[in-house]
Amino acid sequence: METLPSGLPEHVSDEESLARFLTQSNHFNAVMVRPAALLPNPKNGQTSVFRQGKESPEALWQIGQEQIAGERSLHGVAIFKAKHVREAQLDVAAQEPPPRHANIIGWPSNTSDPELEKAKRKALAIQIAQHAELLRR
Amino acid sequence: MPEPVSTTIGICWLGYAAAQGYARGSSAVSSEARAVRDAVCAVVDLTERSQALFGGKAAAISRLRALANQCAEPGWDSDGACAVSPIAVLLTEGFIRALPDSIPLPEFAPEPDGSLSLDWIQSRNCLFSISLGSNNRLAYAWLDGADKGHAVARFDGDRIPPRIVEGIRAIMGYGNASLRAA
Repeated sequence: METLPSGLPEHVSDEESLARFLTQSNHFNAVMVRPAALLPNPKNGQTSVFRQGKESPEALWQIGQEQIAGERSLHGVAIFKAKHVREAQLDVAAQEPPPRHANIIGWPSNTSDPELEKAKRKALAIQIAQHAELLRR
Repeated sequence: MPEPVSTTIGICWLGYAAAQGYARGSSAVSSEARAVRDAVCAVVDLTERSQALFGGKAAAISRLRALANQCAEPGWDSDGACAVSPIAVLLTEGFIRALPDSIPLPEFAPEPDGSLSLDWIQSRNCLFSISLGSNNRLAYAWLDGADKGHAVARFDGDRIPPRIVEGIRAIMGYGNASLRAA
């Protein structure tokens, strides 16, 4: 099995925890991480995540602040297993650099009916969001 | 020129929803008709500013506009998101105004494609979510325990599609104001 520069295996296993950094306070509430937080970037059709590995919560925050938030506030992080992504018929693919980075791929993107595809993506985001745990600072 | 008082009485008689529709949809051409339309617009505007008359909808629209301002530039998520579309904001305002009073108000969230998400969340296994983007076709999806689905419905700007109203009611409970999202 190939190893990436971060030391993680190239294949993202089902039991790996993935972190989606939240730069919007509207992307979660007291009940859950909201589906909008997990929708893909329209430019590449993928959702950017980081593999938590054995990192401590503090190290995870540091990754988020350095790699994602920059000057912005980091409001929280959604943590979910790769298996929950795959149960939604999506997949997770490692993509470094930066270290530990991966993408949720396979989102519906047929352009013949963009709104229907959007509805499908929302349904899949809901499926993942129901399993996501929210960490706040 | 109509007297403001008589205009107001007329609006009360017509009902707020009718006045609001008239204010936005009128194609009045005569000077008298324009004067009436302008007066109706002014009253509609004042009404929406009034918490007493418009309830939580004015506050919801205010929150929506604040969110749109926060996400008015591309990259608000630090990951290449599109700016929230002004059309999406207008559509969402119309949607909020058209919501029946028995439906709880939603929470708002920006989406990476510049749409706005309106969410009714009962629990993490029971929620309804609608996207309003750059046209009047609304993408929506729901999860209700083991039941889930997604679809598209057209919003004419005045009346919420019945399927969406029924879906939200099924998730949140018909007329249960205590479940209203914060």
